[in-house]
Amino acid sequence: MFSEISKVPVILIFLALSLFLLLTKVFKIRIPYKSYIHYLWTFFLIFAASETLSFGIAIWILAVLCFMALREYFTLVDIRMQDRWGILGAYLSIPFMIIFIQFDYYGMFIISIPVYAFLGIPFLVTLGGKEIKGTLLSIGIIDLGLFLLVYCIGHIGYLALSSTWWAIMLILNVAICDLIAILMRKGKNHRWSSVLIQYSVSAPMTIILTLGLSYWTGIPWFHCVFLGILIPLLVAIGRHTIRYIEKDIGISRDQLLPGKGQVIDNLRSFLYAAPVIFHYLRFFSMRSDAF
Amino acid sequence: MKKLTGSFSARALIHLLLLRPFLKLFFGVNVAGKKNLASLDQYIIIANHNSHLDILLLFYILPIKQILTTQPVAAEEYFSKWKVLFKLVNYLFSPIWIVRDREVDDPLRGMREALNSGNSIIIFPEGTRGIPGQIIKFKTGVGRLAMEYRNIPIIPVFISGTEKSFPKKSTIPMPIWNNVTIGPPQMFKGEGQDITSSLEKMIRELSYSETAKRHKRYKQPKPAIAFAVYGIDGSGKSTLSRIVAKKLSNAFRVCLVSDHLEFYENENQKELQPLLTEKVREALGRYAKTAKSLKQYKIPKLAELLLRDHILGEVQRWYTPDIIVQDGCPLINLAAWAKLYREEYFDAEVCARAIRILTGKREAIKKDDPIFKKFHELAALRRFRLDHMRLPDAVIFLDVAPAVSIQRILSRGEQRQVHETEEKLAKLREGYLLVTQVVEKEFNIPARILDGESEIDKLTASAIEFAKESSLREP
Repeated sequence: MFSEISKVPVILIFLALSLFLLLTKVFKIRIPYKSYIHYLWTFFLIFAASETLSFGIAIWILAVLCFMALREYFTLVDIRMQDRWGILGAYLSIPFMIIFIQFDYYGMFIISIPVYAFLGIPFLVTLGGKEIKGTLLSIGIIDLGLFLLVYCIGHIGYLALSSTWWAIMLILNVAICDLIAILMRKGKNHRWSSVLIQYSVSAPMTIILTLGLSYWTGIPWFHCVFLGILIPLLVAIGRHTIRYIEKDIGISRDQLLPGKGQVIDNLRSFLYAAPVIFHYLRFFSMRSDAF
Repeated sequence: MKKLTGSFSARALIHLLLLRPFLKLFFGVNVAGKKNLASLDQYIIIANHNSHLDILLLFYILPIKQILTTQPVAAEEYFSKWKVLFKLVNYLFSPIWIVRDREVDDPLRGMREALNSGNSIIIFPEGTRGIPGQIIKFKTGVGRLAMEYRNIPIIPVFISGTEKSFPKKSTIPMPIWNNVTIGPPQMFKGEGQDITSSLEKMIRELSYSETAKRHKRYKQPKPAIAFAVYGIDGSGKSTLSRIVAKKLSNAFRVCLVSDHLEFYENENQKELQPLLTEKVREALGRYAKTAKSLKQYKIPKLAELLLRDHILGEVQRWYTPDIIVQDGCPLINLAAWAKLYREEYFDAEVCARAIRILTGKREAIKKDDPIFKKFHELAALRRFRLDHMRLPDAVIFLDVAPAVSIQRILSRGEQRQVHETEEKLAKLREGYLLVTQVVEKEFNIPARILDGESEIDKLTASAIEFAKESSLREP
């Protein structure tokens, strides 16, 4: 009974976003941060597919998203000729992880990349060639990209497997934090004081949103409040950290094209929030009767 | 060759429905400046060449109606190795085949035929895929062709990313974005060579704007070229080395290791972060100058020379110069001074052995070699592992008669050092001459002996000329 009601709003949000993007395309309306809405749309495509078709299809759309992000990352970083085997290993880790999400095999999903990929990729890098100098740097570059852009994003998929509405709650909360960050952005300089103000504005909003969504998510009210406090914090930390990586690998805000930083830039707020929120919800839902 | 016409064919469909979506979805392609190509009917596309993907990418950017009327230039002997591939390439791109090695009457004939029949062509003027990510010197054929067809616009295109996604010698293409930057169409007036060089410059400029912000790893700086000027005291080596350092600093970052450390850039001296070792060395040097006898002089001078050699490493590490100009070379000084202490025993063969020991070639000289009995210092240096002195990459010996040098020392008004007598300087001069010969013959290091009594301008000119031809061939 419960699942029948919950399908409709997901599809409605997806259709609304699709219509919006279609209209802007047809009438050539230029809106700022349009690419961000594309990525939101992708997430809702995944949720709608999961609700109407099957989770199997939805999770492979997420795999494509991971692939796009990782491809962009490897385009931007400086890699050696002989790291190509390691990069191939990184790409192959995506289906390796996704398959365990698809079949709800939590134990393997959670170790697929941190154990098998992180041990396998260094080996592959050493197989690539005889040059020793720079090996550690290469392994670090490949592994961090894989961790952030595949493993962390993969948690959204597993969260959607547990409950689509939990994943929607996460996506909408992060989107609100991003919206507030965009609206309150002043100049190019990054100041901790402005981050603090942003946090104090977005935390009440996320608390209200999480409480409002609790009708579908089924999260008890005190957990809603705590999640509402936690998510903006994680988003702020994530945005701050990824900003440093972005600057280092040469992503500039002036020309955000796909392949030149658009994918990573739009996903950056999810990277820290997704795994932590996933484990929070998993921990309490398994131990508490209130869920 | 008949003109290829028609806009609808199986070939065009393969391009549109198979190749383009594959490139876009598997690799990802960013195109900048597409409107530069849009309104043209006939053109010559010039692009850098890194990978076999390049040709696919260049067909990716073409307007649909131009797919069938554009022909790339390709090397026949490479593709003809595999028959199926040859046929496929021939069908998809209908290239103008070029035979690379064989002597042909005119390699440009095929291109002329294509252009005369109204087709457009694609040329990779580098001629080969070359080093990944680097543009090599353009071949001159492009310039000649452009001179003949002045009414056909030339479009410079820069392709990046293919050197990572499908580089030479790799078997598996990797999904990595490719960027194609199309420059504005060009019409040229000048001579063939000027056209080639200006096209090369254009592609390089496109490459700078494309790759400027790219992530780069920290690269180990190139080891600096050490260039030593030496001679007996009062030969004017300090003056010469300073002038040479200043002159060379027009094009390079130069560090002068003299009585003090000096750093030059664009003929200006720069402030330097002081080195502790340098302070110790200066103090030791001052102490050695006040020695009363050769015996007292030996140990502090040896320590000073060792430190002076050690400083070369520190200078390289902290200041990262392109060139180090040495005023006196510790290794050569040590070797030449042996003449002063053991004249009867010292000859070319012994000198070569001593230099081998001092530069740490332990395998070449055995432990029980007689040289260690004659020169205890060498045994001690080896025992304490101080035998890693650096042989410079080029040397200049400034030759002055001892009488002249004594005169110069006296005219400076300084206190005379213990070895600065005419007899001893004559011996030292012989020692230096011997070492110079040994270094040139045995160690294949460019060396030149200059007459220290000639004018300073002349000296400087010949020293700089020598420096450039010997060690600075590749900056």
